[in-house]
Amino acid sequence: MLTEKIKSLDSEISAIAAISTTHEDIEKYRIEFLARKGKIASLYDDLKSVPNDQKPMVGQQINRLKKKAEEVYETLKSKLDSSTAKKELVDLTLPGRMLLHGTRHPITRTIEQMKSIFVSMGFGIAYGPEIEDDYHNFEALNFAPHHPARDMQDTFFIKDDVVLRTHTTPVQIRVMKSQKPPIRVIMPGRVYRNEAVSARSNYFFHQVDGLYVNENVTFAELKGTLITFAKNFYGSNIKYRFRPSYFPFTEPSLEMDITCFLCSGKGCRICKQTGWLEILGAGMVHPNVFRNCSYDPEKVSGFAFGMGVDRISLLRYGVDDIRTFFENDIRFLNQF
Amino acid sequence: MRISYKWLQNYIELKNSPKEVAEKLTSIGLEVESIEYLGKKYDGFVVGEVVEVSKHPNADRLSVCKVRLSQSTDAQQIVCGAPNVAAGQKVIVGLPGATIPKNQHDPDGKSFSLTKAKIRGIESNGMICSSYELGIGEDKNGIIVLDSSTPVGISLSQYLKLDDIVFELGITPNRPDCLSHIGVARDLAAVYGSSLKYPKVDFVEKKNFSINKIFTVKVENNDDCPRYTARVIENVTVKESPEWLKQFLSAVGLRPINNIVDITNFVMLEFGQPLHAFDFNNLAKNTIIVKRARVKEKFTTLDKKSHELNGTELMICDGDRSVAIGGVMGGMNSEISEATKTVLLESAFFSPTSVRKTAKRLGISTDASYRFERGTDPNMVDEASRRAAGLIAEIAGGEIVQGVIDVYPKVIEKIKIELRIFKVNDILGTNLSLEKINGLLQTLGIETQVKNNSLICSVPTYRPDIEQEIDLIEEVARLYGYDNIPNQTTVHSVFSQPSKIELHINEIRSWCESVGLHEVMTNSLLDEATALLYSTELIKVKNPLSVDLEVMRPMLLPTMLTAVLHNYNHGATSVRLFEIGSTFLAKHSEKTTRIQGISEYNKLGLILSGNAHDLTWYSKEREYDIFDLKGMVQSLLSKLGLDNIHLIYYDASSSLTEQTIGIEINGTYVGFLGQCSQKVLAQHKIERKVLYCELDLSVLIAVDEVRKFKEYSKFPSVKRDIAFVVKKNITAGDIETAIKESGGASVTSISLFDIFEGASIGEGNKSLAFSVTMQSREKTLTDSGIDALMKKIIASVVSTYGATLRSL
Ligand SMILES: [Zn+2]
Repeated sequence: MLTEKIKSLDSEISAIAAISTTHEDIEKYRIEFLARKGKIASLYDDLKSVPNDQKPMVGQQINRLKKKAEEVYETLKSKLDSSTAKKELVDLTLPGRMLLHGTRHPITRTIEQMKSIFVSMGFGIAYGPEIEDDYHNFEALNFAPHHPARDMQDTFFIKDDVVLRTHTTPVQIRVMKSQKPPIRVIMPGRVYRNEAVSARSNYFFHQVDGLYVNENVTFAELKGTLITFAKNFYGSNIKYRFRPSYFPFTEPSLEMDITCFLCSGKGCRICKQTGWLEILGAGMVHPNVFRNCSYDPEKVSGFAFGMGVDRISLLRYGVDDIRTFFENDIRFLNQF
Repeated sequence: MRISYKWLQNYIELKNSPKEVAEKLTSIGLEVESIEYLGKKYDGFVVGEVVEVSKHPNADRLSVCKVRLSQSTDAQQIVCGAPNVAAGQKVIVGLPGATIPKNQHDPDGKSFSLTKAKIRGIESNGMICSSYELGIGEDKNGIIVLDSSTPVGISLSQYLKLDDIVFELGITPNRPDCLSHIGVARDLAAVYGSSLKYPKVDFVEKKNFSINKIFTVKVENNDDCPRYTARVIENVTVKESPEWLKQFLSAVGLRPINNIVDITNFVMLEFGQPLHAFDFNNLAKNTIIVKRARVKEKFTTLDKKSHELNGTELMICDGDRSVAIGGVMGGMNSEISEATKTVLLESAFFSPTSVRKTAKRLGISTDASYRFERGTDPNMVDEASRRAAGLIAEIAGGEIVQGVIDVYPKVIEKIKIELRIFKVNDILGTNLSLEKINGLLQTLGIETQVKNNSLICSVPTYRPDIEQEIDLIEEVARLYGYDNIPNQTTVHSVFSQPSKIELHINEIRSWCESVGLHEVMTNSLLDEATALLYSTELIKVKNPLSVDLEVMRPMLLPTMLTAVLHNYNHGATSVRLFEIGSTFLAKHSEKTTRIQGISEYNKLGLILSGNAHDLTWYSKEREYDIFDLKGMVQSLLSKLGLDNIHLIYYDASSSLTEQTIGIEINGTYVGFLGQCSQKVLAQHKIERKVLYCELDLSVLIAVDEVRKFKEYSKFPSVKRDIAFVVKKNITAGDIETAIKESGGASVTSISLFDIFEGASIGEGNKSLAFSVTMQSREKTLTDSGIDALMKKIIASVVSTYGATLRSL
């Protein structure tokens, strides 16, 4: 009976599968059972003589057997492949295929850190031109035309009334003239001073100015804002002090010092033996500045502050010559 | 401004240490930048008495001395090499630990530190010094021998009277009142609540005739010189100043000249009022006329410099000629000399603006002009004159002529300002009472009157900075103490315009970093010759630091190339840079101009130069070429979500770049990329190829920061490869465009994967092989549909470019 024959072939396949380990064995198995003239193919020939009513059932049995034979063949083959696969020796100490990476300039990094602190305190960001007119850079900021306060900032002139901005403060005027209070922005950018270039000073540098104008803004709030910034930027356990100072565009004005972090306040070359490092200037927006922007100083008040970026970056990164920042040596840039 | 602690104590009683006083000064806005202990470098030097001298047993030239260093202790043994040492001498001894300012055995005279030592076997406990070694003289040949009356044991700084302490004050331009010892003492008195002691002016007018008999003063410009006073002192003896005066001047950094000049300087440093002394006998006529200079008048100042005047300067004239530039500097022609017998003493109030304009124009800055520019006290003019006249009489033996000529037609009165108490507290965030505020202001010498909830304040004329209410609020804050004002850290929420620019710039920086570019920050200024290579529309600085920094950069390229050169000069093989910065052109355009005639642009510059790969185990060395940069820029534009990009391929090379590609986004030109020309590289002395791209950031960041999702096809895509043989002058771009146009929307991407030239396809030909991806948004493309599409594409390329299909 064909059914018997199928059953015996089934066990035969299992038996041979158990002993077939080499390529030859497996090839022999394939030819014996799965080739076009193999034992399973011949079962299909035998099927023709099976009575019609039994054909589907027996046919199914043959199909199942064929499937099993094929699976066995695949299994044997893959076992053989894995056991005889060539064990290639990989030298993992070869250098990896490196990807290039670039860097942000350290000055950019400092500005970004400052920005992120002020943005978290609700400040927006504004920009202005580097070539400014006398009006925005001086006059509107309450520098009288022939006042010695102008000597505080050595100026590059393009024309008699056009200058390279000496601070980012003129952006305050531009912002106030184009927006209505409340205003809370910081203004980063490059500024210029006509000073000899040395290890400690460059003819251009970077500043971040800030401005807050609203009803009832107080000096107390200014101090609080600056302390929050300083603790975020320099560390929560810094010591600080506020000193009265003078800027034409703010009054009362202050300068903020923190304990020199190079000598912990004992006095060193960097802090000129004072133990303090000046980090920023600030003050309440001068009523004359408000008037110049058509704001009523009886209705609004505000504070402004400004800080240099480059000198702070020197100390932060432990660089001792400010010119290093602008030499743009890749060996330097790569470290940031 | 240097302030002597010793002299300060003549005007105010100080109970605190110098360090505490310095801190107080800083806390009220008179910042002490440094404290200098004048005698500090002589710490460890004392006066000793040589009691015994004997020969050194092992050295002929040395003596072994016993030196008594104090009244109570035993004499110390000191080895000395000086030939003039002898018993009984008073000498200066450096003790172990002291620093000898100058080593006389060192060619450069470097300092050295003393230690206990054995010299040729004999112990020595110090050193007896020469004047050279102490830095107070040039004598190297022997030790200084002091007067026998000098007490033993006193310190050298006591002996040299260098026991003063000097504060270096940073006085802000608004506080001219503190450019003097009395001014500083006045602020200290206010904050310490102690009283100010004015110097007593001893004043005897010996001559029994009035100055008006012998002298006249006429002021032609009362606006520029609101007050002018003159006194005459006869029979003076011009000579060296007494020790105390010389010491004071040296301590505060002024060189003593002669007693008359020194006295005028002393009174200026005491009262803040600059004075000028003329040699009366050198004045042509017995008169002073204050008037403007003549146009093109020549005048030689005390410092022997000659100036040409333009007629705006206020001059002090003697009837014939000018003798001083008012408030700035005296002239050579009337200078005090040893021959001077009679002094005309000028004390005046000049208008700050007038003095400043003149000093600026002539490039002169003197102690006098510095004070006048900032504002002196018009009502202190005569007081200072009396003080100086008194001192001249006392020190130079002069006889003061009776009276004073005082031209002061319009007396400058104290101004009155209303201070509202609520305004003080509104601005400061405090809750100060009227009484408290009143008390603070009165300590400053401000007279007040209470009116409702305000104070009507009369401001002394020595405080020209106090002009309006806010200035008084500052005084209140300063004296109340910044530290006592609360710190309010709660933040009121305010809507701040979110900055679109920030998001985009940050994205661009991140992208640049991720593709291996280093951010540089380069000079904004460069030399004109180099800049002219880049543009003729240059903006020049009128007062540059040097010719190398004369014009504003018209592009980022020239200054970035400086960075490229620097890196090649320091061993780099690959230079990949980016910069975000401003460039400037002298032209007017609505979009870019904020200052008449000037355009400022915000640019992104990219540079690739040198090796794209170094030689490694997995790759060959390769140099960057234009396609590295082109691909990079395309990647950036895609990263920023910019489409509708049009590239313009320029055939001709410009003077700056060859192989140049222009970039337009939505029809707006944003910049270019290209390979720097030989001319540019030669100018910058760079030997390797440099690829450069400059893009206008204002266009790049104009895109919306919120991107809209675009649906993509859900149907499978099919890829087909085709190759065309075309004439060499046909570009890959031409064929690509033809494929895109004939294939229509179904062609989603075209990729060129092979370029071949060779005899097999005929001379003058090339083969371009493309992989074309097709996909529909509506349906699965059928084989027959794809075949039809490919036929259409092939037909189009063949007919447009005379191409033949090459079988793959
Ligand atoms: Zn320090």
